This record gives sequence, C-alpha cells and structure tokens, in this order.
Amino acid sequence: MAIFQITSGPPAPQPRISRRTLLKGSAAAAVAMGAAELPSVCAAVEQPGPGTSGGPLRKGKVIDCHAHLTHRSRATWESDDRKLIEAADKLRIDQLCCSTLTPRRPATADGFRECNRWTADGMSRFPGRVLGYCYVNPGYGTEALEEVRRCIEDKGFIAIKLYNEYTCTEPVVFPIIELAIELGVPILQHASHSHYFVEDQPRMSDGGHLAELARRYPEAMLICAHISGGGDWEWTIKALRHAPNVLLDTSGSVTDDGTVDMAAAVVGVDRVVFGCDSSMTAGVGKIRGANLSTQDKRKILAGT
Amino acid sequence: MIIDVNAYLGHFAFRRLRHNTAASLLALMDSKQIDKAVVSSASAITYRNAQAGNEEVAEEIRGHSDRLIPFAVINPFYAGWQDDLKTCHEEFGMTGLRLYPKWHNYQLSSRHCRELVNAATERGMVISIPIRAEDNRQRSWLLNVPDVPLEEIVELVKAHPEARFILLNGIGYTRCPLGRKDNSLPSNYAIELSRLSVVLANELGQLITNLGVERVMFGTGMPFKYPDPALVKMEVLDASETDKEKILSRNAMTWLRS
Repeated sequence: MAIFQITSGPPAPQPRISRRTLLKGSAAAAVAMGAAELPSVCAAVEQPGPGTSGGPLRKGKVIDCHAHLTHRSRATWESDDRKLIEAADKLRIDQLCCSTLTPRRPATADGFRECNRWTADGMSRFPGRVLGYCYVNPGYGTEALEEVRRCIEDKGFIAIKLYNEYTCTEPVVFPIIELAIELGVPILQHASHSHYFVEDQPRMSDGGHLAELARRYPEAMLICAHISGGGDWEWTIKALRHAPNVLLDTSGSVTDDGTVDMAAAVVGVDRVVFGCDSSMTAGVGKIRGANLSTQDKRKILAGT
Repeated sequence: MIIDVNAYLGHFAFRRLRHNTAASLLALMDSKQIDKAVVSSASAITYRNAQAGNEEVAEEIRGHSDRLIPFAVINPFYAGWQDDLKTCHEEFGMTGLRLYPKWHNYQLSSRHCRELVNAATERGMVISIPIRAEDNRQRSWLLNVPDVPLEEIVELVKAHPEARFILLNGIGYTRCPLGRKDNSLPSNYAIELSRLSVVLANELGQLITNLGVERVMFGTGMPFKYPDPALVKMEVLDASETDKEKILSRNAMTWLRS
C-alpha cells in the first residue's frame, strides 16, 4: 500500500507537494498502525514558549520527518532505540520517520536490506510511533529498486531515504526517483552545502542538486535533509527557492537564530517540515524560537 | 531567575544577526523570561583591534547594566592588551573575559596568554572560552577556524588552578578529562549547556553526575542561536527544581558574584 499516494493513476505532471500533502500519509499510517497515546512527561512541544502568542503549538500529530533507528552492530541498539522513543515522549513528538543506516557507506545490497528489516522490526516494536523510510544505495540497480518496492508495497514504509553514495543528480539515481513517483512516496535526500570540498563525502548532494533534480522530475516529492545540519543554511534555502516540489527539513544540530524564519519566508511555510535527526531539543527549540505565527508553527510541526 | 552566561552584542562578520543591540536583545530576553545575560562583542571576534568591540559594547549597554553583564574580548598578542584590560575592567565594568584563541590565532599555552589569564585572575575576572563561534561546516570560503580542542583547555585549567573558567559552546566533555569524575583537575571551570544533550546521550546529566550540579550553567548563545533550545533542555532535564535553579541562575550568581 502506498502510504503517500497522491495520485490514483499515472503520475500527473507537477503536483506541487505541500507539508499537508506529505503528512496526510503519515497520519493515516498512524491510525492504521494504532498509534499509542503519549505519556504526559513533559509538554515541550505543547507549550509555545514564553513570549509566543496564539495558544498551544501542539495541534494534530507532531511528526519528526528525519530520525534514525540504531544499527544493530552497536551493542546498545535496543536501549538506544528505546531512548529515542522516550525522548520523543518527553518532547511530545508523536511520530518519528526512521531509517536505519549502515555504519559505513557505500552500503551493500545485503547491508541496506538488513537495515530495512530492522526498520520494519522497529515499526512493529513501536507501532504508530515509528514510520519507516526505506534506505537503499541506488548503485545496486535492480536490487535497490526491488527493495524499495518490497518495503513500500509489502512492509508499509512511507518513504525512501537516500544518503551520500551518489549525488542525487547522477543518472544512476534516476530509476529510484521514477519508482518513487510511481509509488507516490517522497524521498529524503541527505544534503549539505559547505564552501569547501567535504573529503569524506565526495558525492554529497546539496540544495542546488536537489533543485536540479526537482526540475528534471517536477512530479517527484523531494525532501532536502537537515538544513541545520552544519552547512551554509542560507545558501541551501536560497538554492531551493524555485524548487516547489522540494520540502526543507529543519533538522540538524545547528540552532542558528533565523534559520526557520528564513526558510519560511523564502520558500513558504508549506514547504518547511519539522525534523530532528537525533538533535531533539534543538529540533523542537528552533520551531519554538522562530518568529512565526502559532498557526505557521503548527503547519511545520504537524501540517495542521 | 534566569541568567544566560553566553550572549553577544554587535555584528558577526559572516552572518547577519538579529537581536544584536542592547534594546533588541533585552526585548528578546523579556519574551523568553531571561533576566540577565553576560554579553561580549561579536564584532571583536574578527576585528583586528578587539578593543573597538569592547568599546561598542560598553556604549551599547549604558543604562542596562542591571541586566547586561559585559565581558571583554582581549587578544593577548595585540599591542596594548594590558591597557585594554585595565580600561575594560576599571572603566567599562567588565567582570570577565571571552578568549578566542583560534580566531585570534594564538595558543592557550603561550606565554602571552598565560600572562593575560594571570592578569585577569588577579583582578578577580572570570575567563570564558567559546569552544566555537559557529559550526565550522558553514564557514566562509575565506577562512577555516577550528574549534578549540578540549585537550588544550585541560592544560589551561591545570596550569591556572587559581583562575576561574567558563566553557561555552562546547560538547564532548565526557569523552575527555574535563567531563569525567575524579579527573584530578582543579574544580576551577564550569560548563555552559547550550550544545549539550539532555536526551539520548544526555551529556548534561552525565556532567551533573560527574562534576556536580554546581559546575553547570545555563546559556543560550543568543543572538547567534535561538535561545529556545536551551530553554527546552531545562524543561526536559531530569533534575530537581533546586538543581534547575542552580543551573539557571545560582551557579552563575556565585561565579559572577552578581
């Protein structure tokens, strides 16, 4: 079943995605999977924070669009996964869109299939809390395509995660994009832009690559990962201004003042999505700190 | 009461800052219910003559000294730093320092820096060291300024047991002696929390356990950073209200004697 299905037939040209479109699928998935009620440990997301007017921020399900389960080569994986859910509980984050990544890249086919099995297991262990992103290395061609189809159609995954094995504009990636369009699911693309060559990630994608990919595939639903992930976020936001089918994920450890505000101002609040990428308090704090209306913050957090 | 030990005024060379005047920073503090903030010049990070930044801060906070606590940025390799230190302390009422060894291109172990630390300590000034000004991955094409290695801080605190240090914008203390229990280091340093985790790895909780709650202080990094992530950390921190009060204000009051 395609959770994010936005068309019932062949892909229509240029269906402009919005935050609302993206999250509709995950909310439906949560209902289908029996989302658990959150314990009331802390209400970090419920409170707008001192100085914010307009009522509680939390309305609808708060969804972290960028999270990870722990690779099981790490001895503490089980407790680490539990801590992720506990952190989400504390911060009142309802759902986490998770992939599991191989410790080293490029991932082998066996490696990403194993990761996806563990993600599927995480979806079972935390029903309604963990939504699955299927991680593949596009270099494996048919094997990667078969894995995406299996995860989306049979296992209830809601999206695809691409990392840094290839820059997203390389032709080897295109069949994955085309399959995502066919299945009606978004792709979260690892990305960052630094003004120097990042030696350990030579095929890093950036906002410019995503904009180029979006022009090539205007019907694709793309998410530019972690605009607060350490690169020049002003560059990234500006690079994506004219790419209406790319959402900007706010995750990352950097909490620079103005990041979320600029993203909302330049691309529109409908294209900004809440994420943490394991920087949980940073993720929530940035949204609370942005000089936006409560309504706009709710859109970013929950699409409502 | 909330005291932020990690705030700034002025311009940063590589990014426009909001809330960077006394009036606008105070308005932001009011909106977040932050009572006082330790401020230094953001401009002095890249000014060759850092004293010009100190003068700007002194002018800017005039009339706001009840809430804005000024610290001086001093480069011990720049001509006249002794005069600048005297002016900052005696005329501007600056009760502490912010040092930028990597931005100003000197070693914390250098003779000049040791002299500055000693001179400031004799004056009873607190010495704060931002481990970074901003994330290095977003650096300008013009320069590459690394974070201050924590190992260099270890040597500094050992060399100056009588001095008092506040470490800002840092992370990873528990992976080095600074954050470990029974580390045989003098207890002359405190750690500000703006980059520390309180969930998942929970480095802040580990530091409280290892060093004691008296060695941790609240800070935001505003206006470089949103103040809210630090406030959220305090909301979700698993600690008693008494301990939270120490982190939010009492420890800073003790160290700053304010």
